[in-house]
Amino acid sequence: MPARKRRGAPRDLVHRFEGNPIISMQDLDFQCLDVRNAGVVRIGGEVLLLVTIEHLAGTQCFFLAREGSRGCWHLEPEPFMTPSSEGRFERHECKGIMDARITELEGVYYIFYLAFGETGYRLGLARTSDFKSVERLGLVSEPDTKGGALFPERIGGRYARLERPGEGRSIWVSYSDDLVHWGGHRHVIGPRGGYWDCHWIGPGAPPLAIDEGWLLVYYGAKQTSAGPIYRLGGVILDRGDPTRVVGRTNIPLLSPRERYERLGDLTNIVYSCGALLDADGTLTVYYGAADSCICKGTTTVADVVNRCTAGKETF
Amino acid sequence: MKSRTRGRDLLHRWEGNPVLTVEDVPFRANTVFNGTPMETDDGKVLLLIRVEGQQGYSLFALARSEDGLHFEVDPQPVMMPALEGPYAPYESNGIEDPRATKIDGTWYVVYCAAGNWGPRVALARTGDFESYERMGLISEPGNKDGVLFPRKIGGRYARLDRPIGQGVGSVWVSYSHDLMNWGDSEVVISPRGGFWDEYRIGASVPPIETPEGWLEIYHGVKMTSAGPIYRIGTVLMDLEDPSRVIKRSDAPILSPREDYERIGDVFNVCFACGAVLDQKGNMKIYYGAADTSICVATCTLDQLMTESF
Repeated sequence: MPARKRRGAPRDLVHRFEGNPIISMQDLDFQCLDVRNAGVVRIGGEVLLLVTIEHLAGTQCFFLAREGSRGCWHLEPEPFMTPSSEGRFERHECKGIMDARITELEGVYYIFYLAFGETGYRLGLARTSDFKSVERLGLVSEPDTKGGALFPERIGGRYARLERPGEGRSIWVSYSDDLVHWGGHRHVIGPRGGYWDCHWIGPGAPPLAIDEGWLLVYYGAKQTSAGPIYRLGGVILDRGDPTRVVGRTNIPLLSPRERYERLGDLTNIVYSCGALLDADGTLTVYYGAADSCICKGTTTVADVVNRCTAGKETF
Repeated sequence: MKSRTRGRDLLHRWEGNPVLTVEDVPFRANTVFNGTPMETDDGKVLLLIRVEGQQGYSLFALARSEDGLHFEVDPQPVMMPALEGPYAPYESNGIEDPRATKIDGTWYVVYCAAGNWGPRVALARTGDFESYERMGLISEPGNKDGVLFPRKIGGRYARLDRPIGQGVGSVWVSYSHDLMNWGDSEVVISPRGGFWDEYRIGASVPPIETPEGWLEIYHGVKMTSAGPIYRIGTVLMDLEDPSRVIKRSDAPILSPREDYERIGDVFNVCFACGAVLDQKGNMKIYYGAADTSICVATCTLDQLMTESF
């Protein structure tokens, strides 16, 4: 590396990709209002992103993006999923669908998304086997619940998800036998007074299985007089009982610092809907920045685990 | 003066109101309000009542009556907020507003668990009316006013509840095979701008089946500069799909007017938690007044069906 003198420790544990942002509005072949968050999945060797695009009229839908050669990302010309006009879905999706989170479970790709309709936000659940066609399973939460993320394995024989109910703005877990009827809701973690995640939190990337438990990259928001600052943190949950917290980062894994994270439709946001884990322990976090582009960054599971289980860091 | 065929309210207040006040509770307490009736096989009416202790949190006691009007309260509470175990963090601020429904011979009590992260709908059942077995916490946080339908709809148990979306509290219907896991939630009714129920609404009395549909007696709130006014109204829902509303009362069937409804810990509250219906169609509706006492009002099912809408 030429020139720039290195000053002490890196600012954030997640190392930003030099080519960030990987997808922004300028990269698209069509007009839209903006590019939001993206869920991620790896099929074979190919990485797919399910990107939230805000249409010129303001409603949102999902486009599929594939990584081409030399790190360029290509969006498919037609949306993968648009708000449903079908009976029971229409009134709950009429204002848009957003924030897809993809989980592979037992050979099927499940997509938790946020449905925005007449009664507020709700979690929608859909599934696909090939990312060509998609089947909606239902609207599976009460109103104002966000951040649905399905675990990639059953827990105690049941499907399990993390979610962020509107009341209390904490992360909860719930369970289901059929993915339609959900119960057993329990509080997992909440905002921490005085911390960077003191006002509200929610699931980020769907949980990843690691030796120490479930690794969840979550977001935490701190409210300021100029609006909230969204940062990313990590928490490790027990594999058999996700309400048991093994460790949680005291300081963020990633904070908005770059211009593309600070400036956009909303300001000062890094927000993840998906991360990929490599066999060598590399963790690639895909994140939306300032609600206006898609970025990625890398770190290692070992570093995140250390930070989750280390003592309180005060500086 | 011309005689009026109708009084100020469609419901008729019992002249002996209130039926229960804190003076009737044999242990130290702050207030008693919001009770739900359960009829025994031998014709007695038992009221499961919310008692607010002087500490500030609520618990449940049992009141017994031969005629549904004169009650004696048992000497000890029948259900306390859980102090330990999985329910404790979710009931740390008390248990509130019980609603009893009999399904296939079993009495179920839906109540509001007030805990660390907001209110939740919780479910218990009883065989002897004195002991209550917790079955589960069955909603997300920020949800209350749960009531069970007295029979399955389309092969599934059904409930009404009141979650909040974008600051608006609406009545929703949800379904379950096992009473524990719930889904297919759909909105039923929302607050109506300009009406007496413009600010908040919620289910109150467990739905009553009629040939024309499910009759739900609900509460509606109007916010004023002096605080909320809780009134009682009706809505009629489709028998097979309760999210389809057939009729809804434009005017309340009961509004706070008497001193015991206007003056108390919370001013201007009439809040029903249950009703009993005899074979002739006479109804007794039990309601909490001003969060300080329990009252009863009467009418006939025919009147409600013909005059409230």
